[in-house]
Amino acid sequence: MAKLFANKRFLTSVSALALLGVMSIGITPAQAEDAPVKVTVWSFGDVIQRDLVRQYQALHPNVTIEYTKYNLDDVNGTKLITQCSAYKLTKKLGGPDIVAVEVAYSGKWRATPSCFQDLRKMETSTTNVSAGVKAGLSATDLKSDYLPWRWAQGVGYDDSVIGIPTDVGGLEVAYRSDLFKAAGLPYQRDAVSKLWPTWDKFVETGKKYVAKLTAAQKKKNFSFIDDAGSIYTAMLNQGTSKYYDNDGTDAGKLVYKTNPAIKKAWDTTVAAMNAGISSKTAQFTADWPVGMNNGKFAVILSPAWMTEYIKAQAPTTKGKWDIANIPVGGGNQGGTQLTIPAGAVNKQAAYDFMTWYLAPAQQLQMFKKYGLFPSTPSLYSDPAVSGYNDPFFNNAPVGKIYSDGMLKLKPIFEGTCQRAIDMAFGAGLGRVQAKKQTSAASWTATLAALSKDKCLTTGN
Amino acid sequence: MSVTSDSLKSVKGSRRKSAPSPWRQKKIKPAKDTGGLASLNGKWGYLFTAPFFIMFLIFGLAPIVYSTVIAFFNWDPIGEIKYIGLQNFTELLADDRFWLALGNTLEIWALSTFPQLAMSIGLAAILRNKFLKGKTAWRTVLLVPNITSVIAVAIVFGQLFGRDFGMINNVIELFGFPRVDFIENSFASHVAIATMITWRWMGYNALIFLASMLAIPEELYESASLDGASAWKQFLYVTLPGLRNTITFVLIVGTIGGLQVFAEPLTLGGGLSGGSSRQFSTLTLFLYEQAFASYQWGYAAAVGILITVIVLIVSVINFVITRRLSSEDTK
Repeated sequence: MAKLFANKRFLTSVSALALLGVMSIGITPAQAEDAPVKVTVWSFGDVIQRDLVRQYQALHPNVTIEYTKYNLDDVNGTKLITQCSAYKLTKKLGGPDIVAVEVAYSGKWRATPSCFQDLRKMETSTTNVSAGVKAGLSATDLKSDYLPWRWAQGVGYDDSVIGIPTDVGGLEVAYRSDLFKAAGLPYQRDAVSKLWPTWDKFVETGKKYVAKLTAAQKKKNFSFIDDAGSIYTAMLNQGTSKYYDNDGTDAGKLVYKTNPAIKKAWDTTVAAMNAGISSKTAQFTADWPVGMNNGKFAVILSPAWMTEYIKAQAPTTKGKWDIANIPVGGGNQGGTQLTIPAGAVNKQAAYDFMTWYLAPAQQLQMFKKYGLFPSTPSLYSDPAVSGYNDPFFNNAPVGKIYSDGMLKLKPIFEGTCQRAIDMAFGAGLGRVQAKKQTSAASWTATLAALSKDKCLTTGN
Repeated sequence: MSVTSDSLKSVKGSRRKSAPSPWRQKKIKPAKDTGGLASLNGKWGYLFTAPFFIMFLIFGLAPIVYSTVIAFFNWDPIGEIKYIGLQNFTELLADDRFWLALGNTLEIWALSTFPQLAMSIGLAAILRNKFLKGKTAWRTVLLVPNITSVIAVAIVFGQLFGRDFGMINNVIELFGFPRVDFIENSFASHVAIATMITWRWMGYNALIFLASMLAIPEELYESASLDGASAWKQFLYVTLPGLRNTITFVLIVGTIGGLQVFAEPLTLGGGLSGGSSRQFSTLTLFLYEQAFASYQWGYAAAVGILITVIVLIVSVINFVITRRLSSEDTK
């Protein structure tokens, strides 16, 4: 009995050894490639598209991309913070393999590159060679594919690369040509673009438009632009610096009190509010889509992705909209990078998916299918982009207008408290719009509030 | 669990003795281990109550201890951590944003609690009516607002309260009054939030009041009506005194909830600062803003501790008032 048992054990160990031997001879690499991998993605909005995920899974039957959509503030604020602090505390790998980070939060995350995998140290494997992504590419090699200012939003203070850009928003003017015509204004897109070479001229045009509205309309806040507050953001993004100056230090230098660009954007926005050209309809509130349909406002400063939103919310206004150039030229709103958290388990699989997903070929697909504008300028000369006219916007050459604008922007240094400062100035403008404070009083109150804000006073 | 098995044992034990005197019974020790459930001498009780305490330790006690500790630090969750003693608290007490949030919270609490109290007692009185048809259906309907998602409620109410196209403003205009901006106007925004809270909790509280009303002896009403008391007098002098303890209960629970109003103001304005002049920033919204927009976890934890202190103070006041009321009752 005992002997038999011993024999059995002997046999087992022999066969195990044999198996190991076989594996080490030739099967191992193949097995590693085919081992099932699950890549977990935390995203929001339309960052991850199901069709492309299916395509990737068809290319790699062993890979599962599991993506979950969250609310932006939840995923970039709460969830990512708790994930990173937990990782720093326990050093345990786990959680998501890819997280989508929006530019509003990029200032914060660029200050803590230790929360992310430095993508300069990653290399693409051979897995996507047949799909057009070469092997051995680090983020440094990929950089030249993307718009420089867009790339900069994913670079940490220590020059590490924490994220690769997804689509780009851009910013142009979506306007109702029928309402412009009714108000006696030029309504052809080239003539409209010429109406406002500067923001002051934009406000002037608004005044002319509002003068033609009836008293009953004005009573219901019918006006020119949906929300004058968007002028402030648009103007700031056309510059080279916002609240911080890149002085070579990690945190940058706070210049929100002295940067003339901020005061100028503030003053122009206040001028627009005082001229009554704002319908005071905040974007993404209940009243906003209503206004798109009933002509409460004739103008929206619209990133490329917002054109899809307008189509979905106001389908009956098809053909009444058009796209003109933004005053001064060039603009942006929003933008997302895909990042790999430092605590991710499947970094290689995540990096391979990411580099494929954000490569020009796939960005072109996303543009064609979902109107998400590519962040890879090599596509701007592709006829699919440059020749794209949108029937909803009266056949405007949307592809050309937006890509021209994208190329005009420069990188802006984003700092840690970016979002807190943005919120404070936004609230300040809101008080002026609601006529609670004069512009001067609100400006003083905003600076006073910021000088007490703990995010700024603790210096991180 | 343990109590029943022990008492069973003592009864059994006493049967075996010749003289089952109640005095001796006390001295009988529990039987020695003989196997089986009873032999564990009530240890099973710990096992069965354990899930609650384990959950409480993880999700209740641990966060309380953690936030109490970090309140004394300058605690950036992913950056620098430095002990600063009481500085968070002294800064907080000098922070006008905190006092503004406290004022807003109390105003919203008052606006949502007292009208709601009257309305839910009224609703309960209607439901108590003997001749009401479909009682169960009515009672079920009352709970529907309570199980609706807060976010859904906030979105629907956001549309109703809309400044330019909202239904409520259309009605206001119909009566010849100017349209109200339910977001920018401070008091109006509090009314809007209080309405959402009232809508959500009124039915729930009505059911609690109803249960309490049904416990009032029918004879009291009979003798009252024999004495010629009208329905209104009966309500005033029989029903209301009978509800005294329930009212206190509802008030205390409502106060604890009311001081933690969060989702409604967050979704009303869509921002963490509670409006352009912080007009509907509540205590918990301020806490959240400090933690997740300014990344000041220590400061936010200090806010949390002060909220606890405030809830304690208000509860003590409530308790003292109730004690006084009930002692007056016995005089």
